[in-house]
Amino acid sequence: MDNLRLLIVDDVEDNRMLLQAICRKMEGFEIEEASDGIEAVEIAEQWHPHIILMDVMMPRMDGFQASKIIKERYPQTIIVALTAVIDPNMEKNMASIGVAAYIHKPVDKNLIRFKLQSFAALLHSREGEFNKLSTKEAVNLFSRDIRRFKTIFEISDAESIMDFGNWILIRHDETLNVPCRRMDIALELFYELMRQGIRQSGSMNIIVEENYEELFVTLKFKNMIDLHPKTEALFHELGENAILGEECAYIRLTMHSYEKPDITAKEADKPKPVVIQEAKVEPIIEQAKPAIAKEVKVLETNEKEMLRQSFVRKTSAIEYVQDIGGDVLDEIRDLESLDEEWIEKLQALETEPTLENIRQFTDNVLGVYVRAINNLFEFTALAYALSSLGSFLKEHADAIITDPKKLKTLVMLTEHLGSDLTSWRDHIFGLQDTADIHYLDSSFFSSCMQIEQIIGNKEVASNDDDDDGMEFF
Amino acid sequence: MAKRVIIVDDSRAVIATAELALEALIGSGVIEFKSYLNPAELLGNLQSGAENFDLLISDVNMPEMNGLDLARSIKSDERFKTKPIIILTTESSEELKMKGKEIGVTGWMVKPFNDEKLVKSLKMVLGV
Repeated sequence: MDNLRLLIVDDVEDNRMLLQAICRKMEGFEIEEASDGIEAVEIAEQWHPHIILMDVMMPRMDGFQASKIIKERYPQTIIVALTAVIDPNMEKNMASIGVAAYIHKPVDKNLIRFKLQSFAALLHSREGEFNKLSTKEAVNLFSRDIRRFKTIFEISDAESIMDFGNWILIRHDETLNVPCRRMDIALELFYELMRQGIRQSGSMNIIVEENYEELFVTLKFKNMIDLHPKTEALFHELGENAILGEECAYIRLTMHSYEKPDITAKEADKPKPVVIQEAKVEPIIEQAKPAIAKEVKVLETNEKEMLRQSFVRKTSAIEYVQDIGGDVLDEIRDLESLDEEWIEKLQALETEPTLENIRQFTDNVLGVYVRAINNLFEFTALAYALSSLGSFLKEHADAIITDPKKLKTLVMLTEHLGSDLTSWRDHIFGLQDTADIHYLDSSFFSSCMQIEQIIGNKEVASNDDDDDGMEFF
Repeated sequence: MAKRVIIVDDSRAVIATAELALEALIGSGVIEFKSYLNPAELLGNLQSGAENFDLLISDVNMPEMNGLDLARSIKSDERFKTKPIIILTTESSEELKMKGKEIGVTGWMVKPFNDEKLVKSLKMVLGV
């Protein structure tokens, strides 16, 4: 996929400049600006942005109206609303027209970047091999009668597993009428199959086909896979809705509406678009961008958290380590050799604060960590946080090397982070005595963000809203 | 007399950031600061009388013992029944907060935390 087109809409020039500055640092985006809702709609028509950062309060046409028009014409556009006013009603209205996320001002640059990166990952994951598959021929074993678009996922790492999980969970919330218990089983089964598929053959594909009543998920492996007894049991529980082939697994989920589609009338009555009308998808296909010929909605943080909990249940270190491939485990254990280097490079930086010494630490220590952790299924937030910390340090290199107090604080906190990572490795991969490994991912994530907040500057901390304050009981 | 503030968290980085936030209060002798990486060790010391506190800041997810279980055990002890406990965690679910409320914790703050607000709340709770 080419660069993603990002439109920034805000009537205040300073805000646009701030958002530009935040987003420019990220690779893979082309950025345009609009100064009110009317201009946003015009640019959306000509330029077809993938993602829009939309201010709400604007003259001429506000962000709500503009979002409504754009979502009606281009439902696949991801709109992130930004506002200084906390108004639950507005948030509800925004959600009802399909706005993907709602971010309060003053904006947290990490949050914006994190959101944009997740959206970008979702958009890219949709690209798949869309063009290569015949859209007419059904691959599932349940039904030949399918709509002409398929959604294809290439699953090759933890991130793509999460992307598929996000996607299927959104479809579940919006359209599927599967009893909750069965959806839990299906989710767990998808998860197990994806992990085993990747472990046994490196990567695999998932093809989702739909008709107006059902969703057919076909998991296509590169070769025959051996199933764990646990996975077989999950299969069994889904009964006739799950079929296991030689190199494929087929799962059927039932959609919300059983009525045959007279879409135009029926869909209009529903609060949320349940199925995408094909007519709306066509303009995108004509522009040779079939990859996002599907609606996209992105999870809120709390939804993502829920997903993590339902998608990956409580897992002990012993179970987890048993389940990881030997190569990955070796790579994690090899990180032990970095412990000394972690401290040495930080001390070198403290004695001689230079750009080169910052780069030595970010590239030769943090970078190695990120590469190893990227292979771990359950620690995507940790890998992201360490990689974000690396970019952050490079970005703030000048401020760090010229401010001795900041440098000292950074070195102290990062040394502690290093010790935390050592304990993390010991308790999960060495002693294997952690009862549930999952909380550590978000815990490290918050530690890294905290370090960025302290080093980045305290001005963020001086606003008066109570979002991040203490809640008293 | 300096108020004794204890933080228990399995992350050294979090303890260090909290200590940094409370630097001024520690430096001026308003509070004395002690940290534990292991909740079981803290509980043992409290029960044996080797440890005491005026305010406890506790994480929730820790390897050996959950912070809410720790708070419950401490609150069930007559000596600490009225002592304030603040939860500092990445968890923000209403369900867990309700649990905290039932146990009788004083406040809940989500990580990454804002250090000025931590100091402000802490001063309020300690009345300093």
